[in-house]
Amino acid sequence: MTSGNETIAKPKRFDLTSGIWVEVARYFFSFIGVLLLGALLIYAQGEDPLKAAKLIVAGAFGNRVAIGNSFRWATPCLLTGAAAIVAFKSGVNNLGIEGQMYLGAFIAAVIGYFYKLPAGVHMIVCLVAAGFSGVIWMIIPAVMRLFFRINEYITTMMMNFIATLFCDFFVIWVIIPSLGITTTTAATPNIMKGARLPSLIKGTSASWGFLLGIFCCVFVYILYRYTIQGYELKQVGENLKFALVGGVNVKKTFLSIFVLSGFLGGLAGGVEVTGGYYRYVSGFSYTMGWEGIMIANICKQNPIALIFVSIIWGALKTGAMNMERGTALNRLTVNLLQMIFVILVSIDFEGIFKFFDDRINKKKELDKIIRQTGAQNAN
Amino acid sequence: MQNEEQHYLEMRNIVKSFGPLIANNNITLKVEKATVHALIGENGAGKSTLMNILSGIYKPDYGEIIIDGKKMHFRNSFDAAKNGIGMVFQEFMLFDDLTVIENIVYAYEKTRYGMFIDKKKNREKVEQICRDYHFNIPLDAKVSEIPVSLLQQVEIVKVLYKGAEIIILDEPTSVLTPQGVQGLFKAIRFLIKNGKTIILITHKLKEVFAIADEITVLRDGKVTGNVKPSEITENELANMMVGREVLLEADKDPVEPGEVILEVKNLTVKDKEGVVRVKNVNFDVHAGEIVGIAGVAGSGQQFLVEALFGLSDAEKGSQILFNGKDITNGTPRDARLMGIGYIPQDRLNAGGNPQGTIWENAIMGYHVAHGFKSKVFLDHKEIDEFSDRVVAQFNVKTQGLNEKLKSLSGGNIQKLIVGRESIQDNKLLIIEDPTRGIDVGAIEFVWEKLLAITREGKGILLVSHELNEVMQLSDRIYVIYNGVLIEAGNYHEKTEQEIGLLMLGGGEDDVWK
Ligand SMILES: Nc1ncnc2c1ncn2[C@@H]1O[C@H](COP(=O)(O)OP(=O)(O)OP(=O)(O)O)[C@@H](O)[C@H]1O
Ligand SMILES: [Mg+2]
Repeated sequence: MTSGNETIAKPKRFDLTSGIWVEVARYFFSFIGVLLLGALLIYAQGEDPLKAAKLIVAGAFGNRVAIGNSFRWATPCLLTGAAAIVAFKSGVNNLGIEGQMYLGAFIAAVIGYFYKLPAGVHMIVCLVAAGFSGVIWMIIPAVMRLFFRINEYITTMMMNFIATLFCDFFVIWVIIPSLGITTTTAATPNIMKGARLPSLIKGTSASWGFLLGIFCCVFVYILYRYTIQGYELKQVGENLKFALVGGVNVKKTFLSIFVLSGFLGGLAGGVEVTGGYYRYVSGFSYTMGWEGIMIANICKQNPIALIFVSIIWGALKTGAMNMERGTALNRLTVNLLQMIFVILVSIDFEGIFKFFDDRINKKKELDKIIRQTGAQNAN
Repeated sequence: MQNEEQHYLEMRNIVKSFGPLIANNNITLKVEKATVHALIGENGAGKSTLMNILSGIYKPDYGEIIIDGKKMHFRNSFDAAKNGIGMVFQEFMLFDDLTVIENIVYAYEKTRYGMFIDKKKNREKVEQICRDYHFNIPLDAKVSEIPVSLLQQVEIVKVLYKGAEIIILDEPTSVLTPQGVQGLFKAIRFLIKNGKTIILITHKLKEVFAIADEITVLRDGKVTGNVKPSEITENELANMMVGREVLLEADKDPVEPGEVILEVKNLTVKDKEGVVRVKNVNFDVHAGEIVGIAGVAGSGQQFLVEALFGLSDAEKGSQILFNGKDITNGTPRDARLMGIGYIPQDRLNAGGNPQGTIWENAIMGYHVAHGFKSKVFLDHKEIDEFSDRVVAQFNVKTQGLNEKLKSLSGGNIQKLIVGRESIQDNKLLIIEDPTRGIDVGAIEFVWEKLLAITREGKGILLVSHELNEVMQLSDRIYVIYNGVLIEAGNYHEKTEQEIGLLMLGGGEDDVWK
């Protein structure tokens, strides 16, 4: 197999330049960096960084309720992140997760309130319908891409506006008037008990949606890592022509990327309604869809890393609320630190490690080669 | 200071390794000003790596670069370009949608007040270069509209525009026709006369003898020879490259053709603009034979092959029969499922996925046509077994099945793709330029593999820009000119000159209809 060139026998050791250790180191150093910067930022606002940090940790993991809340806020990250990973790994720019989420939430809220079904079944119907409404929202950009060659960058983004405005319009002008109620918030009434996701940790806001999110991440991981379909999805994303020549059914594969990504996006909305808010509230997402895209990139499109990052994300969110209550600090401080984390994680540590690794280790080996072959032409 | 004569360019004791592999192992290269220096060697010998170091793309682990007595430390490729190093890559790096002149000045525009692109000044300079060096290229044409031989000249003008004194050409002739090669050599001679220095990488020894002033041979990352063409014969040179005698002759027995596998009737293909590229073509391929189609690049062979494999549509009235079944306007998937293999000319776009691993590239197509035991899960035992077979049988030089395709040398990528398609149990193989970028030693070997396939009773349609290849391998030869297929006799029936003439349109009258 490997013929020809002799090889430098590299000493087996803790190799920082490869694989998992780079990733671990990446998160570790980013975390330290965020701690330091965060301390500085909090100190500058005249608060005690240590106290703030304690409040964040306590707010995120301090007790049962805190943990439950962290899980609750990790849930949308898991699902929107998975939707983004599926799309980006296969070369589809789904920027419409936000819109798919809205539509999913809206449909789940409508089915959850208006239709009476047996408990449990009701919930499942809500979730599946939410997923499919995301799919429908994604079919339009898919068709435009496949048959009219319009890049989904633009179409998915525009579909976001249509989705949010459409849902709000329907709630304000159709649903609320039809019920004959007066209200100040643009929201649907609460869905029925039988349509709700069971609670995961009693007395907290964590629902089974968290497990569903993890299941989806694992599913995406298995799909890409271990299945032939996943192999084809990856090749189509990386080089469409290559896959086409290789006999992959490119149109079908491409469409299934849109469908799967849209389903996960819609499902994220459905879970927000059946496991979180229990109703559709205008503007509920606070850009959760966009956060999914960001997180997907932080974890380098690895669905397993996504699980950990999502939990950190959820923990920071709940921790920040607790910190806000206990200090004069604003939770935006934490948002700012999250963004700094994103930037730090994106740094090419691998390159930096490699640089030093090369310097230290290669030098000796090289001197040996040069001595052996004789530096004939050196002056 | 210097104890021997000073050369214009010296690369001294260059070492470069990728992980455990030493691609350049203490290489010293000396080039004199205003000469053509040929750099030759087997696939994976380290030629491209060495030139990537010279042009600032890779940093050497060890060694130094001296130009005109001055030690150079290139920080990156821009830095190298500033210091007069220009590289023309084998896979062209031009933007299809931009015009020729936009491509030439790209990233090196002359500006006014340091901000605004000075189009007039850019243009004047480019026109000056074209005049000085006798390049005749349409500056305002889109890159996608002009032929390959001109693209090459665009690349050369591009490096001249950046102020190149030393011009590196990495396998420039593998995409050119004989006429294109003559044009390129004329340009090279002119550049030399004007004091430029050329480093030429090629696998074609005839070209080395035609144009080089000095030759450096690499093997397994080391220099194995440094000679002048006048001091050596072609055979000795080949020997120096691969360590054995190379005949470059196919060992072909006469064949007894079997039943018809592929039958093409009245095939007409139009391109996107509606221009007819293949005109009313009729031919067939029998089991056990190789049918060769020779032709100058751009004569329509690409469209013909794509229509056969289902990559582009045939016009009404066309008929393609495979084993008697109509497959006109099918898909590549249909073709694969029926047992048709395809080696495309464009190895990095259609043939391979540079970002993918070796195994991902090795099983593409096979996983559709033949498949693995499990239809759902990837069985890595089976996959590795198949991939290893491709790698081993076709001598693909790689560090492992999980290596990225893009880190392989050009010729090794080609060998992987040829191997993948040849090793499958296909009934018909459609091949474009199978030995493009492959070293002389390996060419013989690939030819032998193709002949072995036909001995198993399979058919091959061979489309090649290399006339010699078509003549050595084909039982029946056709020439394609301007979209029309012309019969050019059986094996060894016509001479190279006669067929060459047909390729240029000097054939029967029906060509002009
Ligand atoms: N970026 C890289 N990472 C890892 N290995 C590499 C990389 N670039 C080149 N190599 C390896 O270095 C060796 C030399 O490659 P190089 O491209 O220089 O060969 P070459 O002489 O140009 O061959 P060819 O004639 O096939 O183009 C090959 O074995 C190749 O696999
Ligand atoms: Mg090369």
